[in-house]
Amino acid sequence: MSTSDLTHHAPRSTNKLRSLFLSEYLVLALTVLLFVALVPFTPGLASSANLLNIFGYLLPLFIVAIGMTLVMITGGIDLSVTSIIALTSVVGAKLMGEQGSATVLGVGAMLVLGAGLGAVNGAVVTLLRLPAFIVTLASMMFLSGFAVWFTQSKNIYGLPASFLALGQRLPIALAVTGALAVTAHLLLRRTVYGRWLYATGQNATAAHISGVPVRSMTFAAYVASGLCAALAAVMLTGRLETGSPVLGREILLDIIGATVVGGTSLFGGKGKIAWTFFGVLFLTVLDNALNLLNLSQFSITIAKGAVILFAAVLDATRQRFNRLNA
Amino acid sequence: MNRFTRRALDFAPLLLFVAVLAFFGAQSGKFLEPRNLVNIVVQASSTGIVAVGMTFVLLTAGVDLSVGAIMFVAAAVAGKIALGGLPLPFALLAMLAVGLVFGAVNALFITRVRVAAFIVTLAMLFIGRGLGLRITETRAMNLPDSFLELGAARLLGVPLPAWLFAATLVVAHLVLTRTPFGRQVFAVGHDVEMAKKAGVRTGTILAVVYLISGLGAAVAAMVTLGQLGAVSPKFGEGKEFAALAAAVLGGTSLFGGRGSVLPGTLLGVLLIQTIENGLVIVNANPYLYPMITGAVIFVAVLLESLRNRTPGGRA
Amino acid sequence: MSRRLLEFIDIEKSFFGVKVLKGVSLTVPAGGMVGLVGENGAGKSTLMNILGGNLRAEAGAMQFEGEDYAPANPQDAARRGIAFIHQELNLFPNLSIAENLFLTKFPRPRARPWIARGEMHRRAAELLREVGLDVSPSRLVERLSSGERQLVEVAKALSIDARLMIFDEPTTSLSVREKERLFALIARLRARGIAMIYISHTLEDVFRLCDDLVVLRDGEVVKAGATATFTNEKLVSLMVGRTMRQLFPERRLPARRDGDEPQAGLEAGAPMMEVRGVSQPGVVENISFALHRGEVLGLSGLMGAGRSELARILFGLGPRAAGEVRLDGELLPRLTPREMIERGVAFLTENRRTEGLCMDAAVADNLTLATLPEHARTPWRWLSRESLHAAVTRIRDVVKLDAKARDAQPVRTLSGGNQQKVVLGKWLLHKPRVLILDEPTRGIDVGAKFEIYRLIHELADGGAGVLVISSEMEELIGLCDRILVMRGGRLVDEMPRAEFDRERILRAALGAESQGGQGI
Repeated sequence: MSTSDLTHHAPRSTNKLRSLFLSEYLVLALTVLLFVALVPFTPGLASSANLLNIFGYLLPLFIVAIGMTLVMITGGIDLSVTSIIALTSVVGAKLMGEQGSATVLGVGAMLVLGAGLGAVNGAVVTLLRLPAFIVTLASMMFLSGFAVWFTQSKNIYGLPASFLALGQRLPIALAVTGALAVTAHLLLRRTVYGRWLYATGQNATAAHISGVPVRSMTFAAYVASGLCAALAAVMLTGRLETGSPVLGREILLDIIGATVVGGTSLFGGKGKIAWTFFGVLFLTVLDNALNLLNLSQFSITIAKGAVILFAAVLDATRQRFNRLNA
Repeated sequence: MNRFTRRALDFAPLLLFVAVLAFFGAQSGKFLEPRNLVNIVVQASSTGIVAVGMTFVLLTAGVDLSVGAIMFVAAAVAGKIALGGLPLPFALLAMLAVGLVFGAVNALFITRVRVAAFIVTLAMLFIGRGLGLRITETRAMNLPDSFLELGAARLLGVPLPAWLFAATLVVAHLVLTRTPFGRQVFAVGHDVEMAKKAGVRTGTILAVVYLISGLGAAVAAMVTLGQLGAVSPKFGEGKEFAALAAAVLGGTSLFGGRGSVLPGTLLGVLLIQTIENGLVIVNANPYLYPMITGAVIFVAVLLESLRNRTPGGRA
Repeated sequence: MSRRLLEFIDIEKSFFGVKVLKGVSLTVPAGGMVGLVGENGAGKSTLMNILGGNLRAEAGAMQFEGEDYAPANPQDAARRGIAFIHQELNLFPNLSIAENLFLTKFPRPRARPWIARGEMHRRAAELLREVGLDVSPSRLVERLSSGERQLVEVAKALSIDARLMIFDEPTTSLSVREKERLFALIARLRARGIAMIYISHTLEDVFRLCDDLVVLRDGEVVKAGATATFTNEKLVSLMVGRTMRQLFPERRLPARRDGDEPQAGLEAGAPMMEVRGVSQPGVVENISFALHRGEVLGLSGLMGAGRSELARILFGLGPRAAGEVRLDGELLPRLTPREMIERGVAFLTENRRTEGLCMDAAVADNLTLATLPEHARTPWRWLSRESLHAAVTRIRDVVKLDAKARDAQPVRTLSGGNQQKVVLGKWLLHKPRVLILDEPTRGIDVGAKFEIYRLIHELADGGAGVLVISSEMEELIGLCDRILVMRGGRLVDEMPRAEFDRERILRAALGAESQGGQGI
């Protein structure tokens, strides 16, 4: 029976730098700093064409990251989101491109499939009580393989114009993303469900004893994650004009990285949509700038890997700092 | 859950293995030919060696998702060195060094900074892949024949890779069952705090298992290089999942403290490799492979969680 | 060589500002057997943790074998030859007996890196022989019974050449045979000159085994001396004692109890919750009682008697194999906590840090956690900030939460007393019909305790039924209308306020009759 004996308190820090370090706007500040610092060295960084490019990359990433944020708040993780993106992309493309279904039907099918796959993840995690990362890892492998098998590794073309508009017309994309972000934000901040979600991540036992439906909330988070992945797939498929079985494969690290960099904790119980937005913005600007600086793709991957590691370290350090200061 | 069911679950991997052999054997006569069976073992060597390293990590309730990337970087480094004209032993030594360095970085972040193992090794996976691509400049590298010769060499009629696999299995098994370090790994996996209180150097143990895993990946890369003779951008891809599946299927618990290299991981690796080999022989659609691996991991983890429901296990 | 093997000199220790050991001095003579008795919370565990190197004393010192002794960790204690046989055994079930014994000191052949198996098993077998355990040293610990595991722990103590062994509640999970086997072993070990400290609530055993007794109460030694100078009764009364008067709010006027001025609409004294024949094998057996409206019912007993487990079963946190529970006359099926809450039942658990609070969440968030739906409007369950804020402000005032604690402050930063008030506030907002409190004032200063007692009375006065589980007898006596006593999973005694008797309660909890005493 060990009791950690906290009879001393770490000195209350009034250091300005420290408070900035812990502030929630740190990442936003870093992004702006990064952007401003690189503008003189990076040709075309601030051009309107490039900004359009940034949005094109940012919006779908943000959508998936929103779902990931919800899952992380419950203390879990969803490694299968990119494979859900791929699978919904090809299923939707098959329906609309090859079988000529209406856009509404296609999009609907994609969203339902995404939510359904998320539901399977959620069910296994809550009912069978298996660790989230292994469940979603297995899902990822299976679904990814399934998508490749389903299309025999070939892309699907011939998508209707109305569908393409969803991904390519910026105002529509912005509207959809904005609506999702606002809904998620309000859900988290202003509804009972949001409070329940946070409580589940902070202390599932105490939440359960206080009457929070912990299992339902966890389940719902995974469904939401699948749904967001499907929505992102709609946008990405529209933009690329193809249903691809490897769609989204490269952005898994970006999604997790953006969410963690933004400040959502891997330990659960903490996270905001706004933070995730800052994280996504940071990663997108970083990616974009590094590309324009003609860094090779692998250097960028290395840089991102380092960033996510750094963010996780920051997260762990903040945890310990908080514990010590109590 | 009674004793009988519990025992049955323990034998599940073996039963599955026999079932798979029987299934594919029935599908095709070629399958059970001794030449094919030896083939299976040889093919399994690479994944098997990685899985052995992964077993150490899993026993401490950790995970190492970066092994595939470590293989890639090790192979790429070896390629560069060999193509640069240096003799083979240098290349091999460099590979081991790469494995140790990656393992050390993983260990540092996991034990000192206390970041979750899966996120650290996931980040290292990406960093490693990027690094590997950088070194190979995204092109395939054809290594000098010395590698292939090594890979094809035979001792007593059995290919070198299989010997290496066997040696790894035996050494790992002895370490886990006959050395203080090995027994302490099990203690740490059961309960880190209790082990610490008992005076076990938990920090060291947790760090060393990641070094072992990195080393295992490096050795596995040697074996694969010996078989392929080239490094493509996809070198080692997916190995982490195959190794994980093999170890868990062989009875190593994700929660730590339980598992074995012999017969556990060996069975797990053979099972997965047999399935793959069998699928090839019956001319199954190659697209099915990743799905099957994913399904296998899932089944393995499911069995695992069922085992943990008993009063004897930890839920 | 000093005749005193171990000496505690004025040991002091506090937790979160509450003094748990107030200057304890105690001696264990060489080769002696000292029984350490005291109620729960008297400080025995803390003292032993300090001895074992798990905790550090704030003041005072220890001497072992004539030298200063200040262990920084359990290994230091082991090195000096002090071994513990804990209640929760520290064995690794996935390793063999021999491996557990030699985990940090495996014998190795001449500096080789591997274990000398033969030697290890031989030595292990020897130790097992000494403790009288006839099992192969290569057997996995998970295959052993509790009694056998305990013997392995003793073997472990022998393997470090212990000169002082501490037994903490060793017989709670043993059969009669295993107990006799253990006692025979203890006699053999004593014959070898090993000194011991024996901690137990089974007074009969303590009288049988120990040369000297030390009675702890409220963090102080109230009496120490040869066992022969104590009687069972004297021991019990010393354990219970007349402590300084606790401050309790005045209990309600008897008039209301007679039904003179019933609260609006309430029938004073009608049963709010009726429990009949509730059983769960291995946990509780045939529990039947009633909790009335407006009543504060106390549940006393030792740790392990099943009180918390019973509370959890009633609230739906544990399985219930048999029995009925009625709430306000309505028969309840086995419900989840959520459903119990919906029916107006609230449960304040023992462990506020792990089960009562989200430590990193804000005060306001914790306060409102159980009642969020009440402040929400459909269809999106949109929360009304004003409604929440009003509720928070109101309840803060009711529980008298520290004004300096801001609504947005994480609960982790509050003192224990304030934290407990937050948990209580959470449940009070719910306006429960039945409130179950498990150790509501554990680790809280006197001032905060008084306020919590006041709140409990207010709640009861409002017509709720309150069930209070506590290990502090003074608390129950000052607070309750009726007290139930549990022992070994059963209800063994019940007394109304007029019959409150400290010694009677303790005797029922211990199972000690006036003459001799009966073991379990």
